[in-house]
Amino acid sequence: MSAIDWKSYTPILIPNIKDYHKIDVYEKHGGYGGLKKILKDQTEFTPEKVTNTVKDSGLRGRGGAGFNTGLKWSFMPKPDGGPRYIAANGDESEPGTFKDRVIFEYNPHSFIEGAIIGAYAMSITTVYVYIRGEYRSWINMMQKAVDDAYEKGYLGKNILGSEFSVDMVVHSGAGAYICGEESSLMESLEGKRGYPRVKPPFPAQKGLWGRPTTINNIETFANVPHIINNGSEWYKGIGASTHAGPLLYGISGHVNRPGVYEYPSGMLITDLIHGAAQGVRGGKKVKAVIPGGSSTPPLRGDSLEGVRMDSDSLREAGSMLGTGGMCILDEDTDMVDFLWRVSHFYHHESCGQCTPCREGTGWLEKTLLKIKRGDGTVRDLDLLLDLCSQMEGRTICALADAAAWPVRYTVTRFREDFEARVKKTVYALA
Amino acid sequence: MAEIFIDNKRFEFEGPTKVLQFILDNGLELPFFCYHPSLSIPANCRKCFVEAGQPVFNRETNSFELDENGERVIRFFPKLMTACSLDATDGMVIKTHVTSELVRRGQKDTLELILINHPLDCPICDQAGECPLQIQTYKYGPEGSRFEHKKVHKPKRIQLGPRVVLDAERCINCTRCVRFTDEISKSKQLTIVQRGDNNYPVTAPGLEFDDPYSVNTVDICPVGALTSSDFRFKARVWEMSQTPSIDITNGKGCSIDIWTRDNLVMRITPRYNPHINDYWMPDAGREAYKIYNENRISRPEVNVDNQKIKSSWNNALLTTSEKIQSIQPNEILVVGSAYASVEDNFALAKFFGQLGQEKAVFAPNIIEGSGDDFLISDDLAPNTSGCEFLGIDQLDKEKLAAEITSDQYKLIVILHEDVVGRQIVTADQLASKFSIYLGTNKNQTSAVSNVVIPVTTAAEHFVSYVNVQGRIQRTIPAKETLYTNRRLDLEMSMGRLDHFGTQFDNWVTDKNKIDCIPAWEFLVRLAHELNIDFKFNSAREVFQEIVAGTDHFSDVSYERIDSELGVDLANKQKEELNLA
Repeated sequence: MSAIDWKSYTPILIPNIKDYHKIDVYEKHGGYGGLKKILKDQTEFTPEKVTNTVKDSGLRGRGGAGFNTGLKWSFMPKPDGGPRYIAANGDESEPGTFKDRVIFEYNPHSFIEGAIIGAYAMSITTVYVYIRGEYRSWINMMQKAVDDAYEKGYLGKNILGSEFSVDMVVHSGAGAYICGEESSLMESLEGKRGYPRVKPPFPAQKGLWGRPTTINNIETFANVPHIINNGSEWYKGIGASTHAGPLLYGISGHVNRPGVYEYPSGMLITDLIHGAAQGVRGGKKVKAVIPGGSSTPPLRGDSLEGVRMDSDSLREAGSMLGTGGMCILDEDTDMVDFLWRVSHFYHHESCGQCTPCREGTGWLEKTLLKIKRGDGTVRDLDLLLDLCSQMEGRTICALADAAAWPVRYTVTRFREDFEARVKKTVYALA
Repeated sequence: MAEIFIDNKRFEFEGPTKVLQFILDNGLELPFFCYHPSLSIPANCRKCFVEAGQPVFNRETNSFELDENGERVIRFFPKLMTACSLDATDGMVIKTHVTSELVRRGQKDTLELILINHPLDCPICDQAGECPLQIQTYKYGPEGSRFEHKKVHKPKRIQLGPRVVLDAERCINCTRCVRFTDEISKSKQLTIVQRGDNNYPVTAPGLEFDDPYSVNTVDICPVGALTSSDFRFKARVWEMSQTPSIDITNGKGCSIDIWTRDNLVMRITPRYNPHINDYWMPDAGREAYKIYNENRISRPEVNVDNQKIKSSWNNALLTTSEKIQSIQPNEILVVGSAYASVEDNFALAKFFGQLGQEKAVFAPNIIEGSGDDFLISDDLAPNTSGCEFLGIDQLDKEKLAAEITSDQYKLIVILHEDVVGRQIVTADQLASKFSIYLGTNKNQTSAVSNVVIPVTTAAEHFVSYVNVQGRIQRTIPAKETLYTNRRLDLEMSMGRLDHFGTQFDNWVTDKNKIDCIPAWEFLVRLAHELNIDFKFNSAREVFQEIVAGTDHFSDVSYERIDSELGVDLANKQKEELNLA
């Protein structure tokens, strides 16, 4: 199923089935089949084979970085008898991203099944599900699903009569964007302040409580049962060749029908705006599209032709797939105001550990506020770009980059909007 | 041997090491704020940026790939790396600010960002003069700031605990203080609160930062965010002379620096000594600056008609010698002290030994359970082992009390020990005897002694002490007495004004000079009065005689103590020392 035939695509991550979040309904439609298949024939489905199947399927992490999931699993060292962990990342705090929420709400069991399969593949007995604190209702939904799975024997000791045991703990975050970064997520799970860790060591060597840990996105795990059920070749056939599988596109902004849509990867952005989301509000023109959460560089509305939602095509266009949380801005949008709001977010959410991010995000916001009020000068625009180079790649985690990229690319790609807002200034040459 | 190239110079290294530590060990320079050799590595200040590259290794030929000139092909990391967290690997190539424009730019950028919310109140900041941020800004920083907005305001003058004050605006969030309480003192009392540029370290609500090691956070704070409430606003760094010495408030004997101005000890800070205290010292030891300044005995005092009056040295000597001549030597009780130095105890025992009283006693001051397993020992006195090694009889408090009150003794000579204050004997019991007290500070014993001889403290002469580990260390004179002179005494350390002040800089006065002499010198003068052959010209001579005559101290010299940061008397092999 390629993205060209998107209109005839049947969703698998959020299927159109009533009460699919209930465990009985999920089971009736073949749920936990992949897990049963593996556990019934463990000599056939060895952990290595499961890992390789996931690796071959080309499933890439859905949290933003897009790393091959099976490859990540294979980085886990050999079991040494000590504890090992999975931390499932449901923090999704990137503005414009709300895809994991629909999984918690409509299809929690496919995530649980995927996480159990992941635990099996990496010989792990404890799975932490880290969900952002603001998702109180969704945390409750997830907890209910986990309780049901325990009751049915999919979690806990000796799952389905096999020797394999897994525990799953639903953990609520406390409202920090930074805790979506994998190493600060681990710090937060350990009960510490959410400061990202210095890498190396990587989580697979030293993760939670110094033990090997794999961190995957919720949506990533939700894909796994389908790969086990239908094989890696089938999965590879969905969507773009280098970024296989279905994607949850979270479309927000000035469109007629915002929402989360499941389609194959590699969808044309124009198809998503004018097809899935049924066009821009009021029939206006698109000014900008942020393809994958607020930290990804925005694309100009006049450069969207032929750009597809997969990592390669977006890189060529000058942006990134990120989380697939798209934000569509129409021609009336004030880009200065928009960028100030984005910068305000990153200023507010910088954890304050590294100097460039702690101080730089604040400086960016203050400068943008000055421009927004009409007090800026052209020099401030250059200062913004200079500050971006002072922040990019200079910090422990990627928050500084996430804060700098939208500034850099909004200012360069929509410079006329900014120049229109700054004061006309004349400087003496000497 | 693995090799590493730093700014085109080849170095060899062994074992795992971080690049920054290696650079510092080799005497090269790289600016940093958050790194501390004794603490974990957070890499958060982003100051120690370097360009780092590794040679490309060809697995097929099992050798490094070479370019057309026969040089190794180096693959550089795409980003600037923090040297503090970067492991040195064989063949690694490092470019610091010396050779790389990119690194220079990176370091400057970081400084500019650190400074945008820093108050820049150096003229009223206690850290000025010894502030890494100030030094590095002058050296590596941008000339001005492009920041034209309001700085972030944070709490100022927070009394974190009894001894530490926080100015959150000055804080650069290096987290050294938090890591110190987490990893070294283990009280875990500090944490960073808030987020982003509102971050600052503080205790949990309602709790005090009363860690017994709390002031160490002031020392390691790379800016003036944490200041000592005691030392705050008392002196500028450049006005003080810094003298290496040791802590005498405790049996551990931490290595310290004594900072003096106009012959007053202004503060005490720890000095690096890997054998004893690393970079740290207990807060109690810092309070000791008071014993050097306050409540000192200056000029001898003699009881006349039950009235204590100031006396001349001659009169004190005459009174003492007359008393000694009027009784038999075995009627003298000689009380040494674990609070006094090896030299003083030795001189005392030797003097009275020559006089005919071979016996000298002391009572150690050890309170079981009063210490911890870090830098506070159960032993409250600095020289208990030293007295033992000198062969001075060790008595417990009751036995010493029995000796003092016994009718056998008509004269009690007490060196330093506050026998009344320690409740060994009552004031009345001591007052009923004729006693001579050689002490530094006024106390309950000096109040009832018949003759009080002021002697020098550890800050005024050289003396050595043996700590609870059996390690001998020594002090160096830090402040002048009435009879010593900083400019003439080459053993004394100098400050900026000693070096550069002119005779018109009237910053040194005589008012803080104490009229006292070392205990051994008093005994030498006394020997002259009594016609005993007992002669020393300096503490060095006393120490040389100790070394020559006592097995425990053989092969030890002041020079060895200085160069090896003390000598372990149980194992006098020369120790390899790596001074960071």
